[in-house]
Amino acid sequence: MPTAPTKDPVATVRTLVDLGLRACDAYGRSDLAARLTKAQRSLADPVIHVVVVGEFKQGKSSLVNALVGANVCPVDDDVATAVPTYVRHGKEPTAAVLYDEDPPRREQISIEDVRGCVVEPGRAGAAGVEVRIPRKLLANGLVIVDTPGVGGLGSAHAAASLAAAAMAEALIFVTDAAQELTRSELDFLQQAREMCPTVVCALTKTDFYPYWRKIRDLNTEHLAREQLPAPVIPVTSTLRTRAVATNDSALNAESGFAELVKFLADRVGGRAADRLAGDAAAEVAAVCSQLEAQFEAERAALTDSAAAQDVVAKLTRVKERVDELRAAAARWSTTLNDGIADLNSDVDHDLKGRIRRVIQEADEAIEEADPADTWSEMQPWLESRIAHELLANYTLLRDRATALSEEVGEHFRQASGEVLNRIAIPNPTPLLSDAKVDHKLELEKMKIGKQAMVALKSAYGGALMFVMLGAMTGVTLGPLGLGIGLVMGRKGLREEKKRQRTARQNQAKNAVRRYCDEVSFVMGKHSRDTLRKIQRQLRDHYTTLAEELNRSNNEALASAQAAVKRTQAERDKRTKDIDAELTRLRKLRQQAMAVVRS
Amino acid sequence: MTLLERTRGVLNRAIDVYRGNDAAHRLVELRHRLDEPLRVAVAGRVKAGKSTLLNALVGERLAPTDAGECTRIVTWYRDGHTYRVMAYPADGGQPKQLRFHREEGALEVDLGGLAPTDVRHLDVTWPSQALRTATLVDTPGIGSLSEQLARRTWELLTAEDEEAPADAVLYLMRHLHSNDLEFLRAFHDTEVSQPNPVNAIGVLSRADEIGVGRLDSMASARRIANRMATDHSVRRVVQTVVPVAGLLAETAATLTEAEVAQLRKVAALPVREAEELLLSADRFVQLRPELGLTELERASLLGRFGLFGIRLATTLLRRGTASTATDLAEQLTERSGLTELREVLSSLFFERRDVLKCRSVLLALDALTRTDPRPGSSVVAAEVEEIISSAHPFRELRVLSAIRAGWVTGKPAVIAELERLIGGSGSSPQLRLDLPPDADKPAILAAANEALVRWQRRAENPLTNHELAVAARVAIRSCEGMIAELGGRR
Repeated sequence: MPTAPTKDPVATVRTLVDLGLRACDAYGRSDLAARLTKAQRSLADPVIHVVVVGEFKQGKSSLVNALVGANVCPVDDDVATAVPTYVRHGKEPTAAVLYDEDPPRREQISIEDVRGCVVEPGRAGAAGVEVRIPRKLLANGLVIVDTPGVGGLGSAHAAASLAAAAMAEALIFVTDAAQELTRSELDFLQQAREMCPTVVCALTKTDFYPYWRKIRDLNTEHLAREQLPAPVIPVTSTLRTRAVATNDSALNAESGFAELVKFLADRVGGRAADRLAGDAAAEVAAVCSQLEAQFEAERAALTDSAAAQDVVAKLTRVKERVDELRAAAARWSTTLNDGIADLNSDVDHDLKGRIRRVIQEADEAIEEADPADTWSEMQPWLESRIAHELLANYTLLRDRATALSEEVGEHFRQASGEVLNRIAIPNPTPLLSDAKVDHKLELEKMKIGKQAMVALKSAYGGALMFVMLGAMTGVTLGPLGLGIGLVMGRKGLREEKKRQRTARQNQAKNAVRRYCDEVSFVMGKHSRDTLRKIQRQLRDHYTTLAEELNRSNNEALASAQAAVKRTQAERDKRTKDIDAELTRLRKLRQQAMAVVRS
Repeated sequence: MTLLERTRGVLNRAIDVYRGNDAAHRLVELRHRLDEPLRVAVAGRVKAGKSTLLNALVGERLAPTDAGECTRIVTWYRDGHTYRVMAYPADGGQPKQLRFHREEGALEVDLGGLAPTDVRHLDVTWPSQALRTATLVDTPGIGSLSEQLARRTWELLTAEDEEAPADAVLYLMRHLHSNDLEFLRAFHDTEVSQPNPVNAIGVLSRADEIGVGRLDSMASARRIANRMATDHSVRRVVQTVVPVAGLLAETAATLTEAEVAQLRKVAALPVREAEELLLSADRFVQLRPELGLTELERASLLGRFGLFGIRLATTLLRRGTASTATDLAEQLTERSGLTELREVLSSLFFERRDVLKCRSVLLALDALTRTDPRPGSSVVAAEVEEIISSAHPFRELRVLSAIRAGWVTGKPAVIAELERLIGGSGSSPQLRLDLPPDADKPAILAAANEALVRWQRRAENPLTNHELAVAARVAIRSCEGMIAELGGRR
């Protein structure tokens, strides 16, 4: 009987995983147990990233502080946040600086030192700061990421925030009530939606701007016109902070934060918990299916000796198939290897094409104006153009890798599905209805594609862009040689200016090329590494799966062969035992499926 | 011969050369321009508070302001004998007089069937003392959601085939990070002829918002403005940066007794209660009905002062720093930063108005002779180049640009002195010589002579680098000019 999903799917699934683990233990399947242990771990320590983005000085850090009711992100009228701050739950308040090295390193610091590490100029090499504080809001795994708003929404930093958003559950876009959304903010939101589907727009500083209602309405209109389904939630961090300090619930309601918290709890936290539970439940169901298949084969073999011969023969044929699946030449394996090779070349080609276009644009811009006037602007422009192209290139990599992962999964499923079905054929008991095959399809489909994301997350992490930014600084143009003597001269002023301008233009073009070369080199290596990691991840995943199938099949074969030798009395007894086991497993599987479906 | 006379001379010659040509009437207009007040454009990104600042400078609520995007057409405000609004069509047709009325002080112009996009600019003539020193040009913001409007501003400020319409620019900038592309681009969007520290002042606008209305907001804003003014990329394009709380300045200029009476009621509350009331704009409108102010009155106070303005004004009233409406207006003007902006405007723009106007005219002539050469125009071109390269005020401006661009190098103190001496902080001798404003003639003469000797030594010192030596010769000439003007001996 499928149980009705309770209010807390995570707790339900936790018991199901425990039951599954006990079953694996009882049947001596440590390989399957390993899978469930992994699921158990991710249930115990869920991580739900919510990224806070927006222009410089819109009140992002204040919003985060007000949200968690503690002064964790430094706020200043002038100085800006330099590195992302990850605010998450912890029993004691602690803080650490994160370094994106290989392997990633973290350095414990005291809470008082957070300010020095977060605000500009920040600490050399730091990729982020993590602050843990005990908060109910964060207890279910919510991690709030405060990002630097430096450089405007068109900048390289913004692209880095977008890359981080790709890994996030939701995005809080912060804009203050001083003015309606600008073109660049709307453009950013459009891009952000591609990277992260759940976006909420927080309208800050409503205590200070008397016309915030008008701005809210204007923003809602703009969002509707641009078909951006993001709710606008007006908030005031000042009132919320005061409400938290004085424990004034009326003031808290006035601050508008209640609605934001509700949004985070229901739409973000709730949904993430559901998905997390679903994933774990799917693992439980998959493990049950394998165990069931093994018992069903044995049960079929127990009916009579003729049937037993039949089962043994079929299982032997299945063994051949499974061996094929495990072989290096298996179709899924070929698909994977070819796919990665193609992807490598396509991603590389795409990157080169993009960089080439940037160089062209840069050349045109340099031709149009004197670099002496425009270079200081050219540099951030170039960085931001490159960062956005890298982001697009990364999106291509992500989408194609996901598609490849699906294809590999599909091929594996076709081959293994056949195998699994075969085990089931000899004994079409009423319990083995079509529904079983269906749910297997469903399960496999669900898990397909996820593998690539897991690999991407471990390889990419979104931090790369921020790190790249550090490496990109210092595109310098040599000394600008416009001698003042010439400026003051009377004759030939224009000709000399022109000559010098051409010299500067060439110098600038060379600088752009050097820079782009460097980016190509670093990024090329990085995407090759990422793809290699994906390949390894997928290969390991499906090899393990094949090994599991192999073991399931071997055990089924062994027990079927043993069944042949048993006496009738033994058979009856064993059949009864198996039926009991099967009933338990089916019940567990159905419970798990109920969670997956809900 | 003064610069103005030389410019007028070459302009007359150009009018002869281009007689009967399309360009002729434009040249005649250029000649008028030399006699008119300086034209100062108020430019900046959308919602930077351009119209509000313009009203503050005029001392009247002329330009309409609103929470949403508001200024849709480039509008000229100039002094005149009558009240009149003219529309200049985008297609270059005949200007058309428009009807208008005033809505709570602000002008409501009836476009008479014209669409905003059909109008190149509006020309408002308004008898006003403030407009006598400068004609002000209000612009729609760049970065507007309406591309059409942004293009209008673009056209006004980067006119390609005609002279730059404005002689000087106030760039309104909001508080942006110095790495912000928008921030850097803002100057290129609105460049008048060339990005140039010669004819531009940066205004850190909506300064009260930087501290989100805390009482020390202006101090915070001043610190940020100072930092911006030393930023390399800012120094290249504006002379200095001044923080201004535009709304407060506008209101201070038009403060009424009735409003002060209303504020007194709030100031009469005990500090804690006033603080609670002023915690948020919504609270100010809704709480404490017994105060004797209607919701409408409160909302209108908020609209006029902003939360920061109310906090500041009631604090001033409560502490007795200001007791009358006149006192309060004076205090608010001072604290809004408008007084400082006026001083800076006067020393950097108005005292130098002839140079700036001549510069606009000569640049326009230079462009014309290049794009539309005619028999005799080469003589005009040569003369223009002669004036531009030899007139001392222009050499000063060029050295100033060179210093700002970082081409002249030397000890920071020396460079700072050089910048001041050639008029970087204003062209009066007291400012150039870093003397108190009330320094008398003998003191100025003595200081000028000292500076002269000092810079002569620097110019001749073989260890001085070439660029600095060239700049030093210009500084020497500046000193000589001051001494000659004061009637001292050389």
